Amino acid sequence: MVEKIVIDPVTRIEGHLKIEVEVENGNVKDAWSSGTMARGFEALLKGKDPRDAPFVTSRFCGVCYSVHQLTSARALDEAFGAKVPWGGTLLRNLAMGAQYIYDHVLHFYHLSALDYIDIMAVANYKGKDKGLLAVKDKIVGLVKANDTFPLTPRYKPDEFCVKDPDMVISAVKHYIDALSTHARARNMGAIFGGRTPHYQSIVVGGFTQYPDINMVARFRTMLDEQAKFVNDVYIPDVLAFGTGPLFPLAKMGLGGGHYNYISYGALEKDPTGKDLVFPPGVIVGLDPKNIKVQPFDQKKITESVKYAWYKQDEPQHPYNGKQEFDLEQKKAYSFVKAPRYDGLPMEAGPLARMLIAREPTFLGLVKQGVKLGAVARHAARAIETKLVVDACYKWCDDLLSAMTKPGFKIHDTDHWEPPNNGMGSGFYEAPRGALGHWIKIKDKKIDNYQAVVPSTWNASPRDEKKVRGPYEESLIGVPVPDPDNPINVVRVIRSFDPCLACAIHLIDPKTNEIRKFIVE
Amino acid sequence: MDKKQDLYSWLEIRGVSRREFIKYCAATAAVLGLSELEFTTRVAQALETAAKKPPVIWLEGQDCAGCTISFTGALNPPAASIILDKLSIRYHETIMAAAGHLAESVYHNTVKKGGYVLVVEGSIPSADDRFCMVGGRPFRKIVEEAAEKAAAIIAVGACAAYGGIPAAGPTRGIGLHKALPGKAVINLSTCPVHTDHLVGTILYFLATGKGPPLDDIGRPKAYFEQSIHDNCRRRSYFDEDTFLKDWNDPTQKDFCLYEKGCKGPDIYSDCAIRRWNDGINFCIDCGAGCQGCADPDFYAGMTPLYTAESERSQNIMARKKAGLIPKKEKV
Repeated sequence: MVEKIVIDPVTRIEGHLKIEVEVENGNVKDAWSSGTMARGFEALLKGKDPRDAPFVTSRFCGVCYSVHQLTSARALDEAFGAKVPWGGTLLRNLAMGAQYIYDHVLHFYHLSALDYIDIMAVANYKGKDKGLLAVKDKIVGLVKANDTFPLTPRYKPDEFCVKDPDMVISAVKHYIDALSTHARARNMGAIFGGRTPHYQSIVVGGFTQYPDINMVARFRTMLDEQAKFVNDVYIPDVLAFGTGPLFPLAKMGLGGGHYNYISYGALEKDPTGKDLVFPPGVIVGLDPKNIKVQPFDQKKITESVKYAWYKQDEPQHPYNGKQEFDLEQKKAYSFVKAPRYDGLPMEAGPLARMLIAREPTFLGLVKQGVKLGAVARHAARAIETKLVVDACYKWCDDLLSAMTKPGFKIHDTDHWEPPNNGMGSGFYEAPRGALGHWIKIKDKKIDNYQAVVPSTWNASPRDEKKVRGPYEESLIGVPVPDPDNPINVVRVIRSFDPCLACAIHLIDPKTNEIRKFIVE
Repeated sequence: MDKKQDLYSWLEIRGVSRREFIKYCAATAAVLGLSELEFTTRVAQALETAAKKPPVIWLEGQDCAGCTISFTGALNPPAASIILDKLSIRYHETIMAAAGHLAESVYHNTVKKGGYVLVVEGSIPSADDRFCMVGGRPFRKIVEEAAEKAAAIIAVGACAAYGGIPAAGPTRGIGLHKALPGKAVINLSTCPVHTDHLVGTILYFLATGKGPPLDDIGRPKAYFEQSIHDNCRRRSYFDEDTFLKDWNDPTQKDFCLYEKGCKGPDIYSDCAIRRWNDGINFCIDCGAGCQGCADPDFYAGMTPLYTAESERSQNIMARKKAGLIPKKEKV
């Protein structure tokens, strides 16, 4: 018997997502991923001063705010012919580094962990640690007061949920601690970014915050706290869970997908811009024993609209993509387009980056039997957080040394005025994966603006060849023994760290028309 | 007996079965050194006196979750204590454990009972309901329904208050002042909401049972009465027409940002005193002008953002030349 399950809304993600699955004999047989909200950002940017774009596109997403600001500024840098001075790049990188650290910690503890632990197991904690007893008191107190929101209700803990009281109570303590830790990571970013969410200091040509030594010292001090949390808490937690009680999930490779991966590359280690913390590349049909990475070529990106609410067209490169809505499309089921690389769906994000970088710690886990899937995504995210922390220390040193030399610059002032006409593209790695912005300028104003974001890659619907998007493919075969408790489905989806507000912001700039929209 | 039955149905709604609960009680009672009966009775008693923590429904419409992230940035008191100890957050898509029908059932149950604080993040599409659907229903209908029995309504961020950036686009996003005409709404504009503004408003509500005094566009006077310009440390440079032209030049780094598009003289918010992120920095201090995110005209009324060509900027200079913007008094 085939049973259809609809999860709407998928919570603990950014944005509005609906997931539908067909379950047969306890396993997912088919899946559909739909984005259900649109704001029309590209349309409102048309005709505006191009320099507005980084500020406005930052508001694509309030979780990964600054990555859009930066990627937009990079598209403008190219269109304006601006050369960002090394000082400007270092400041951009430090602001980004803080973003990565906060974002990954938030994702693991606050958006994901509740899928893997039975929080009520804290009542069985028998140890004497004062900090942990305080956590026990807090949770037991909530239960006694009959008010455990927002920790309940929840999907029923299944056989994979960690129930060991010692592990659960320390995870719950870290859940509580991490709320303040990632708040301070965002404050660290604000030292240069101006404030968070939504930095103010990233503009075309560089940066607006002229740094002083005290700011660098403050950043470094706050970075020490983050480094300690990442190295002593976050990574050990992920490894302890992934190679311990969650190893059965890791070993079965729950939520694998197409095994195609893409990274645009990001975070410059030196002024040449060639040596990057995250190298660019593409992997097609991964063989974990023999990882073959192709060079990334942006010309191979196309977007299909066959199953999305847009006017039908051949797959197009984002520069030429049209944005006309057509809600009459009977086969369509999402506002998200279907990007493809060389015609293939690609997974973007930490898993892609760690594979393309052939990161040794991560590959060590793969050797230990962690198959690529939901658990591997969490591990890749934790491991790359440490790479970013380490890079931040180096950028602090590099900034101090650059600042104290004559001719220190943070901005390309000669290229501040918009060109009469031009075009540019910006590529970056957001915490959630490969991010691209494209701009066309006519008469000093924005003529066309396009973004293909990580969750466009990952949440994409089927393409014209009926090939599923990464979320959809990763759900095939996922065990759902109880249709009322599809906990494995949300585990898989949340492991991608969805960001749907980013993925859907397109709308017909000419007609603004929506005709028909079929809702379940 | 009835109390016990109430308790079981109450738990059921929250996704805890009777069997699970009894099992849990036995375990917890043992830990607490109580008999299971005693423990269950105490829980049932507590049920009557519960609801001390005000229930909260937090809805997200055409949003970016930036206000949610800003809320979780609270350090004094920490967000964990607000979320677990001070409020009973029944529905919040980004932080709640439940998903799908479980989430929807808590929402409906809370709405039925009424008396909750309704927080709205994000705008509501006025061009067509279908631009924002949650759980298969138009977001507009959900907001109208939740507003019916709310004890207080807070619009967090520029989008929920006045429409914000989506107001400038084809979905024609609107804020609660237009979506809920006639309803009393506390507007915490700025993009995103300032952590302190939201936490302070919640604490005020907890202490007094009502919302803080508001200005004529629904914003708490305590946060929005002062002009950015009056408290700006670059103000004396504005008075002397000394404007920043090059971000690279350390001798210019404190100059007025008017020519880089700052609208501070026209905007009312306490950012320049309170600053952001626990006082670490704020827009003007990082060398970027105030873009008026606290103002009902944000964003459409502020563009172009980085020059002095907008109507707002032109108006500021005209007023300055007419002597209508007083110089800072020399102390």
